[in-house]
Amino acid sequence: MNNILKLKKITSAWILAILLLFVLAISFGITMRFNQANDIKLSPVTFYSLMTTHGVTMVGIWVVAGMMAVNYLLSRYVKVSNGLNLFAMALTVIGVVMLWLTTFVGHYHTGWTFLYPLPFYTAWEKWATPVFLLSLGVLGIGWFVWSVGMLWQILKRYSLPQAFAWQHFKKGHTVETPPFILITTVTLVGVIACLLTAVLLLILYFAEYFSKGTFTNDALLMKNLTYFFGHTIINEALYLGVATLYELLPEVSGRPKFKMTWYVAVAWNCTLLFVLTAFFHHLYMDFAQPQSFQIIGQVASYFASLPSASVTAFSVIVLIYKNPVKWSLTNLLFVVGVAGWLIGGIGAVIDATISNNFVLHNTLWVPAHFHTYNAMGNVLFSLAFFNWAAKDFQGIASPLRYDKTKIFWLMVGGFGFVLMFYIGGAYSIPRRYAEYPNEFTNAKLLASAGAWFAIIYLWAIIVILFNIVMKCIKMFSVSE
Amino acid sequence: MICLFSKAQVKKYNYSEESRVYQQVADITISTNSDGIKKLSDLYSESPLIIAFVYTRCIGICNPFLAELSQNISLSGTDAKQHYKVLVLSFDTSDRVEDMNKLAARFNFENNKHWIFATTQQADILNKSVGFNPIWDGSRMQFDHEALLVGINQYGYVVKKLTGLRNPDDISLLLRELNGVFVASYQLPGNNSLLSCFTYNPATGERKISLGLLLLIAPFVFSLVIVFIMAIIMNRRLKNTAVPHHYAGT
Ligand code: HEM
Repeated sequence: MNNILKLKKITSAWILAILLLFVLAISFGITMRFNQANDIKLSPVTFYSLMTTHGVTMVGIWVVAGMMAVNYLLSRYVKVSNGLNLFAMALTVIGVVMLWLTTFVGHYHTGWTFLYPLPFYTAWEKWATPVFLLSLGVLGIGWFVWSVGMLWQILKRYSLPQAFAWQHFKKGHTVETPPFILITTVTLVGVIACLLTAVLLLILYFAEYFSKGTFTNDALLMKNLTYFFGHTIINEALYLGVATLYELLPEVSGRPKFKMTWYVAVAWNCTLLFVLTAFFHHLYMDFAQPQSFQIIGQVASYFASLPSASVTAFSVIVLIYKNPVKWSLTNLLFVVGVAGWLIGGIGAVIDATISNNFVLHNTLWVPAHFHTYNAMGNVLFSLAFFNWAAKDFQGIASPLRYDKTKIFWLMVGGFGFVLMFYIGGAYSIPRRYAEYPNEFTNAKLLASAGAWFAIIYLWAIIVILFNIVMKCIKMFSVSE
Repeated sequence: MICLFSKAQVKKYNYSEESRVYQQVADITISTNSDGIKKLSDLYSESPLIIAFVYTRCIGICNPFLAELSQNISLSGTDAKQHYKVLVLSFDTSDRVEDMNKLAARFNFENNKHWIFATTQQADILNKSVGFNPIWDGSRMQFDHEALLVGINQYGYVVKKLTGLRNPDDISLLLRELNGVFVASYQLPGNNSLLSCFTYNPATGERKISLGLLLLIAPFVFSLVIVFIMAIIMNRRLKNTAVPHHYAGT
């Protein structure tokens, strides 16, 4: 089998696995929301086990969705390794199975952030804590090796300054770095940094676990490390999605490719630095953290999101405004995804402003903004890639019929679902409550409405996925 | 040695300021000096409650404990003083209300609406629900116990426990927390916790960057090192040629 066919088959397998997990994880989310609405009755342990599974699974699948999409598109520029791709897939499958065992069999339920010292307060099977931590280790190793592999291939072709597009800072350069290469490089460096953080975090957890009380971790350090890893990885997943947008949107719209400009280069180089320090905004309530870090957190939150988002939005507007665009499901998903990213980004910046955080901290505003830029942002970038790739596998375009209707219902469901979170946040309803006390008068109603909107979103997703899934399944019967 | 000794003490007497915090207190029946028989919930539903555990035969900590408590409450900030009651409760079931009345008189608290002196026959149930473990010493005819204050909020939850004779600041924080004011608290680094981000010198108030902070920067530095090493290796192969914008794969 030739390399390209192999790559297509592996990518199909990724897409199928991701979509299966996605539909299951959405169902867990809907179940949680119905429980919060008091429409169904789950035990608190079941609720928090579902919440943990939902959180880690969602974060995990959209990280790998971004990585495998970038890996597929990288093959246009450099040689990519199918071996590493398979290795990452094998470790991802093992990691996910271990993770689901801990939550569904071991009833592990710390939430996806597994904040120290919660994993040691075992309100679940004793084995679940080490197995949960190990499952993160297995996932992390697979993705780390894969990221390093991809970066290795990029640096084989582009020098370091070229990969970071530094030549675009001044006039008269002869070498052009494609925006896709720049964003992928910047993002992979970030992914490597946060996976190394995860390794460190796991080492510290296991050191305490095996020390039998002779070594305890510093809570502040552990919280910093946890959010360095958690906040950064989910942001980098989004940027992997943005990289696919830069590569595919002009192409599927029948427009010339995005050109690298000095401002795109500056914006994405800034993003590398700022995204790695923005996580400090998770520690505003930790008074033991020095004030200077809190200020860095606020400034970095602005600079991590604003340059990249505004440059991308500007580029997309220039691409489609008053221009003849060939509309398809792929570019519709990309454009709506950019809107979702921007809306979620504004919600995030509002929350990352220290004075607002005093009011919004740990309210439903938090899931509101991150669900907006994930469920209505990054997920749509990846679905756009899946749709494009499924077509690319077999060279058959899907008819545009009903595509706008599908997108319409996806938007009604998705934005309706997150709106209920935003309203809840504005009413100071806390996040991560399995049941809302009666004092939060609107909470149950909002939860119920949120769940119904999410059902519309799920339905639209299933309709959109149908074609993609069929094409991916067919891919396995294709031979040379 | 001192650490081990204090660890052993804690084990033997099983006292901890963390145990039973945020748990519901048992709603026992008490006999008060002022209002006769009451349920504990009658008191805490009116206002937040501080329970001070004593007994009248006590020749040890109980009296200094009460003296210190009354003084510290009067020294604590005025805003915090508004809303609270102190229940001085005997955990010795042989104490009678009259004994507690005498104790109240000794501290001039007979007519103070903030202070209630009471006995109970359900001391064991209450002790268990708040994590208080007095041990009867038959040879001395005394209880071996710590001086314990337990703060109960208006919903009957243990909000804070203070062990030992405490300063006015601690009492003020307890009163504030009981009244729903946010009181910051943080795990203190113990002897066995290495790698803290900062070290703090309580004498000078100086805060210094410590080893833990280096660990926070390490992953980023390390990933840059990985990238630079790869770039250096690859640089030998690259002759700064123009990169064609072409498709190598699909
Ligand atoms: C329509 C689809 C979805 C539904 C119905 C849903 C539902 C929920 C609910 C009800 C919660 C708990 C909220 C709370 O704190 O009270 C939650 C948390 C979360 N969701 Fe979603 N979600 C969806 C999509 C996504 C997507 C696409 C992601 C992608 C990253 C995601 C990631 C998370 C994470 C990370 C948490 C936090 C878990 C934790 O606190 O440990 N969700 N979701």
